[in-house]
Amino acid sequence: MTYEMFTSTGCARCKITKQYLKANDIPYVEHDFNGEGKEAFAGFYKANRKNIFRDQDGVEFPVFTDGNVIKQGVSIIIGHFASGDSLTGFISRSSLHGEWIDGFNVSDGNPDQAEGLLTVLSHLKKHNLKIQLNSYGPNADLLEKILKQGLGDRLIMEIKGPVGLYAALSGNKIDKEELIKSIRLANQFPEFELFTTITPLVRANGSVDFLTPEEIGETAKLIEEASHSKKNPYLLKVFDPETTDKDEFKSVESMATSSMFKYRTQARRYQVMTEIGNKET
Amino acid sequence: MTYPSVHPTGATIYNPDKCWNGYTLFNVRGYGALLVNMNGGEVKLWENMFGFPNKLLPGGYLLGSRGERNTKYGTQDMLDLVQVDWDGKVVWKFDEYEYIEDPGEDGRWMARQHHDYQREGNSVGYYTPGMDPKVDGGNTLILCHKNLENPQISDKKLLDDVIIEVNWEGDIVWEWVCSDHFEELGFSEEAKNAMCRHPAIRQNGGDWMHINSMSTLGPNKWHDAGDERFHPDNIIWDGRNTNISAIIDKKTGNIVWQIGPEFNATPELKKLGWIIGQHHAHMIPRGLPGEGNIMIFDNGGWGGYGAPNPGSPTGERNALRDYSRVIEIDPTTLEIIWQYGPAEAGLVQPMDANRFYSPFISSAQRLPNGNTLICEGSGGRLIEVTPEHEIVWEYINPYISMELPFNMVYRAYRVPYEWVPQLEKPEEQAIERVEIQNFRVPGAQQLGCSNKTPVEGTQESTEYGDNLCVAMTPE
Repeated sequence: MTYEMFTSTGCARCKITKQYLKANDIPYVEHDFNGEGKEAFAGFYKANRKNIFRDQDGVEFPVFTDGNVIKQGVSIIIGHFASGDSLTGFISRSSLHGEWIDGFNVSDGNPDQAEGLLTVLSHLKKHNLKIQLNSYGPNADLLEKILKQGLGDRLIMEIKGPVGLYAALSGNKIDKEELIKSIRLANQFPEFELFTTITPLVRANGSVDFLTPEEIGETAKLIEEASHSKKNPYLLKVFDPETTDKDEFKSVESMATSSMFKYRTQARRYQVMTEIGNKET
Repeated sequence: MTYPSVHPTGATIYNPDKCWNGYTLFNVRGYGALLVNMNGGEVKLWENMFGFPNKLLPGGYLLGSRGERNTKYGTQDMLDLVQVDWDGKVVWKFDEYEYIEDPGEDGRWMARQHHDYQREGNSVGYYTPGMDPKVDGGNTLILCHKNLENPQISDKKLLDDVIIEVNWEGDIVWEWVCSDHFEELGFSEEAKNAMCRHPAIRQNGGDWMHINSMSTLGPNKWHDAGDERFHPDNIIWDGRNTNISAIIDKKTGNIVWQIGPEFNATPELKKLGWIIGQHHAHMIPRGLPGEGNIMIFDNGGWGGYGAPNPGSPTGERNALRDYSRVIEIDPTTLEIIWQYGPAEAGLVQPMDANRFYSPFISSAQRLPNGNTLICEGSGGRLIEVTPEHEIVWEYINPYISMELPFNMVYRAYRVPYEWVPQLEKPEEQAIERVEIQNFRVPGAQQLGCSNKTPVEGTQESTEYGDNLCVAMTPE
């Protein structure tokens, strides 16, 4: 099997990827988009446009293919070679550029594949990238390993809502002790931020309505209980029906920012630094 | 503004027949919220109350603050906003806007209130027939500070102005952040450039706008005629550091009416003239003479951002004027309907114009009989003037602060006697204007010379006596 990798001159993440492949004796053919590989990439892009992410800044390099599969971005490519597709959920496309890299959700992957994620993070850290992680509570033990090994520089933790509503909000129940452990660990990262999106949910009786201010107060109280602090950076985000991945909520009317104040008031009883943030992204 | 080092204080002029008689409330730094009668008698003091400003409510209730944030870390941040009764007992309180932990001090909630607030029921915070503010309920609009960053304005941390609406239970139900509307304000590139580098830096951020008054419009004839810019719920404010006075739509937050920052843009603005460092811009409420017009204490002094000039090497505070004026304008035409400035005060312009001058603070209140109560703040002088510009009441604040050695008064309000049922209506004793030529302190000798010598060839008088070093205005 012939591996091909499209790179860009001066691309630090391309160099990091190449060093991983070299260290693991993985052969590949390189096409430099800024050099001889320009036409090769143009043809490749034209044939695979829908599988290659591109935004206003252009295409993110490196882009890798084995002839069948296309992988884009340093962490996804390294993760592919470290653990095949078993890191799905843990790793996604990074939206940050420069020294910061994100796209790592500690809670979304299979905890049995934790070593694969740690391998990827270790390699990136070795090359001085700053790593931003996401969590919403599950896989607290993995989060602890990442923290202890110094593999995370910033943790963005979403607390979906009160423990009793986690199944309705995230699709999976969570053990209260695990959620508390994750919140407590979040406090120990060099930088961290907690947030909750005021989202609609299907209630036990089948009705659909938003989280209530009292439930946000309950959530803020849980943060205080877990962190033993009232002064966490806690953000309340406005639900955006246009970006939700839940089809049943796409037609729900967005909440006016003015309606958020009563949520902030409730939350501030337990988390005094609570602020209202932008719509969820 | 030009005071001799010795001068009378307290009430100095009082014509009961021409005044709209009542009590006058103002805050004295380091003393408290002081209520005086028309003869200057101190009839009530809420000791050590802060007031930015103090306002009185019917029934003898007082609004104000109980303290100020350490000025090492904050700029004019009041700790709370409270309503206290006649006996000083707190009956309403708000402080939960921001949790602050200043170095060496215990963390605590702070309102960060500054300069103004309005209790529901009354649009402007002063007596208006049929428009009493609520005393046992209702929402309160509060002007607060918030620190934030906005690279459109400056790369420096900003001390921004925020208006919040708080219900009787203390919950915030509405919020407006000034810097969110920066692009609507129409600053020139020169002004943006100066502001970017020098956004009026204070202890904890660039006080780029410095809003110092905020009130609702209340019912008015313009809105009755269909002009939605003047919806009764809309809010008027002014920013002394930009020379802008504006009205925002309460529903959208957008700016729907504005004068400043430039006053050369249209013939109407040129005729109005530059408004600089202004205070207390508000719409005269329905029920008072001049209702629907906008009254502004146009301080002069310094304000605005723009091209550098000899008085402003950096372009910050680039508009300058050394006298004040109170103007009442029609907001639809910008015509000046009434004004009180140096000329109306009988002062020779420009030579003596600075005798009516407060380069900061100050206020103006329209009274039910058409008079206007003016607080010429920096000199601590309160005057009531008739529509014809006669001073019928004058009071000089006798108290000089320990911290700031002058007798400034931020703002003053006249309230009707019936708002203070705890007191019997005081005796009103006229104070005739003293003829200052014969006004002497003990030890000073009387007017006149007993040893006069005629000089041959001198003129008895000259018709050229007004020919001074500078031209008079207008000439």
